[in-house]
Formats: sequence, C-alpha cells, structure tokens
Amino acid sequence: MDKIQQETDQLYKQHFGKLVASLLYASHDIDPETAEDIVQDTFSAALIDWRLQGIPANSAGWLYKVCRNKALNKIKRDKRLQPLTEKQDQATIETRFSESAFDDQQLKLLFACAHPDLTPKTQVVITLKYVVNLRVESIAKNLGMSIDGVDKLLLRARQKIRDEKILLEEPHPNALKQRLSIVHKIIYLTFNEGYKSTAGKEILREDLCEEALLLNKALLESSMSNKETLALHALMLFNSARFKSRISDSGELLDLENQDRSIWNQDLIQLAHDFFTRSQCEVVSTYHLEAAIACLHCIAPSFEQTDWRTIVGLYARLLHIFPNPFVELNYAIAKYYAGEKRGAFEILNELQKNTFLNQYYILNMALGKFHLLEGDHKLARAYLLKAQQQTNLQKEKDFIERMLGKIKEP
Amino acid sequence: MLIVREDLKRIGRLKTEDRFAEGPDMTDWIKSLIESGNYIGGEPLAIKGRYVTQNEVLSDGPFIEAKEGISGYDIILAENLEQATAIAQSCPMVMQGFAIREVRPMQPFIFKSPV
Repeated sequence: MDKIQQETDQLYKQHFGKLVASLLYASHDIDPETAEDIVQDTFSAALIDWRLQGIPANSAGWLYKVCRNKALNKIKRDKRLQPLTEKQDQATIETRFSESAFDDQQLKLLFACAHPDLTPKTQVVITLKYVVNLRVESIAKNLGMSIDGVDKLLLRARQKIRDEKILLEEPHPNALKQRLSIVHKIIYLTFNEGYKSTAGKEILREDLCEEALLLNKALLESSMSNKETLALHALMLFNSARFKSRISDSGELLDLENQDRSIWNQDLIQLAHDFFTRSQCEVVSTYHLEAAIACLHCIAPSFEQTDWRTIVGLYARLLHIFPNPFVELNYAIAKYYAGEKRGAFEILNELQKNTFLNQYYILNMALGKFHLLEGDHKLARAYLLKAQQQTNLQKEKDFIERMLGKIKEP
Repeated sequence: MLIVREDLKRIGRLKTEDRFAEGPDMTDWIKSLIESGNYIGGEPLAIKGRYVTQNEVLSDGPFIEAKEGISGYDIILAENLEQATAIAQSCPMVMQGFAIREVRPMQPFIFKSPV
C-alpha cells in the first residue's frame, strides 16, 4: 500500500463519521444515505487528486471543503425547480458547516439518535453507525447480529430518519432534557455489548466499552448531564477495572470467584469511586444501584469476604424499580452466597418456569453450580449439560466443561 | 401487547417440536428486549382451545382454522405506540415473514365511581 493510500485510510477512519455528521447538520435536504455517498465520493476524489498533486498541508481541511462543495452542488441540482430558496440554503450551509463545531455536533447527533420512536436496539445501531462511526460489518460483529440484519435495521431506520427528519432537526431544549434517559440507556447498552458480547469468539470488546466511556465523558462535559450520568460513569469504570482479569493467561474465561484480584486496576477503581461520590443525590437510579453493587465487588478483598448481604439488598431495590428476569437471576445468585440458600433455590426454580429464562444458559449454569456445591452431582450434571448446549460461545462452553470436570462420574 | 398472528390451520397440523423448530430463533430478540428493559413477558399459545358463547357451551371455535389466528403474545413496555411498532417490526418472525404482529396498547381499566 502506498503512502497516499495509507494516509487517506487514516483520514477516512478519523473523519468519515464527522463529515457525515456535519453534512446532516449543514442541510435539511440531505439524508444519511446521500451524506454517506457524498463523503465517499470526497475520499475517492481525494485519492485521485492527491496522487497527482501530492497531499495538501491541511488534508482534513481539504476534505471538509471538497465535501461541502459537493453537498452544495448536489442541493443546487436537486433544487433547480425552486431557485428562490437556493440562496438561503447556501447561507445556512456555510454558517453551519464548520469543522470546529464538531464536538458539539457529535453530542447533538447522539441526542438525535435517542429518538423515542426508535427501538433501543435501533438507537444503539444508528449511534454506532453515525456517532461512533463504525462500519456495518463491525456493528454486526460487535452486536452479534448478521450483516444482513444490521442492514435491514438501518434500512428501516433510514426510511424513518428521512421521512421524519430525525437526525436533521434539533429537538427543542426541553425535549432534549427528556431524551437524556434514552441517551444514558444507549451508552449503557453499548458498554454492555462490549462487556459481555453475545456472539463470536471474543468475549470482551474493549473498543465498544471505550466508545461508551468516551460518549459519556463528552456528555459529562456538556451542560446536559445530571447525577445519573455520573453514576453511569462510575458503573462503567468499576467494571472496566476488572477487564484484564476476566480472561486467564491461557485464554480461559474466569468468573468473579476465580479472578486474580491483584490485577484489578486500582486507579480505575479510585476514579470510579470519585465519580460515584459525586453522583450521590436523593433520587436513586438503576445506575446508582448497579454502580454500588459493582463497587462492593471491586473493594472486596476476596470472593468469600464480599459483602453479599448488602448486595442482596441492593438487588432487591433494583428489582423494585426495574423488574427484570436478569436482575432476578442475579438477586438469587447473591442470595445463595449470602447464605440464604433456600430463598435462592426458590427464585431459581421459579425462574425456570419463564419460557425465555429456561432457554438461557446462565440460569442453568447457576443451578448446576449450586447443586454441585450442595453435593447433588446428578442434578448438577443435568443442568450443566443443558447450559452447555444453550451457549454458542466456545469460551463459555469450555468454562462449563471445566465445571463438569469437577463432577464425579456417575 | 404484541399479538402474534399466524396460519393456525397450517401450524395445527405440525407436531409441537416442529412448530417451534421451523421458525427463527427468538432468544436474541427477547434477550435484547430484556436488557433494554422493554420486555415484560409472553408465551406461545396452543392451537387447540375452547370457544365459549352465551348459548353454545364449548367448541373448538372458528379460530383453529383461522388464516391469521392468534398463536402467541408478548407484553412489552414502550415509550409510545411508534416505538412499540418499531419493536414489533424488529421481531425475527415478522422480519422473516413467519407471522404478523398486532400492536395493541393495553388500556388501563377505569371503574365507574359508585354514586
């Protein structure tokens, strides 16, 4: 690959999304598909031009300028029939199209993606596409979806975006405030997708976690954030502190009990703590509760010495404001380790009646593990085998295999 | 409530295992809805049931032959009807043309206050 190609690729990575975002804000007449086409076109032009003329000193500036002109030409072509509005458009485009306004624009775009008419999954996908600037293939890989699935979702979203000018019109400041909770959810889901990815070989996608942290940081630096934003930041940092310990040197997946606590990142835990302290307020959100739970895990000297009682209480409060079978499952697990074994089994058995949860490997893995600890090897084996069939991740299959290894042959 | 409508005559002829094996995998869809806090519950419905009216006591009812009969339901929490519709659209069964989803907001019951 030659030098010009390399440099262009580099610029493409850095600026593609920004250029698309700035075009969307520059004009109401450009939809996301067209904007992407224009930017793509700009890069092709750059490659041809720079091969002949050499790379200009301000290559990014060149891109913005060419991109702007291409957009203007496109609008002019489309607007031939309405020459009166042309002038006005040119003026708006020029004032709005500026490189420096970008940081703000990224945030604006994030709030636009948080449109309440879109499904949470779509909100995450279009955020990854237009704000974080991932390609369709990597979105599919990161979210465990097929490329076709992401395309279909984007296609539907694009239609809606075009019909209702979702990305193009900035909502009223009051409406923006209302969208903050959706923005939090998008960031939270993005982080979670990175933290416990559902498909493929990789179990941890730190990139996605980093993107979520960066978006939240930008949010914190704006005037839009509130105490929940701080709690969310603390939650993500506490979990990030344990990144390295989740996979052993030989590449095996490790659960909380077997992680090497000495490699947990103390700086991150401290930082998370600072954010958590700053997040304290009268209204306790799910992020506050989840951050508190993550915090208790992070400061426990060992698995056994974890303050399970308090964690049980926190899960109970979480269930109260966010009833959800996943939370219930975690609640039962915490109860078991807190010594309330009967209560734990009662909840787990009840959860088995849930059509979905019964298909979910974590429930069967928990039942298998607890029966193993209680000495019922026959039941433990049955549950673990069931769980092993229910996950598609090789690392998780191996993890269950190792647990099965601890069971005496019948 | 997202009601699933399918050709009951056709699936009525299938064995139960085959009925669920032929459709797309719904696990990921439900999982993502649980994670985002939109999912409350839901179940498929058996095809055979009873039909009760004032005069007639019990029968299999006309629904067992219905082309777009109710074959299941999911209860979700959504911001508004548009989001609920978008969620229904993203259902794998709908995307792959296996079923139709009917989106019906649940209406809180209002008691007439006794005078």
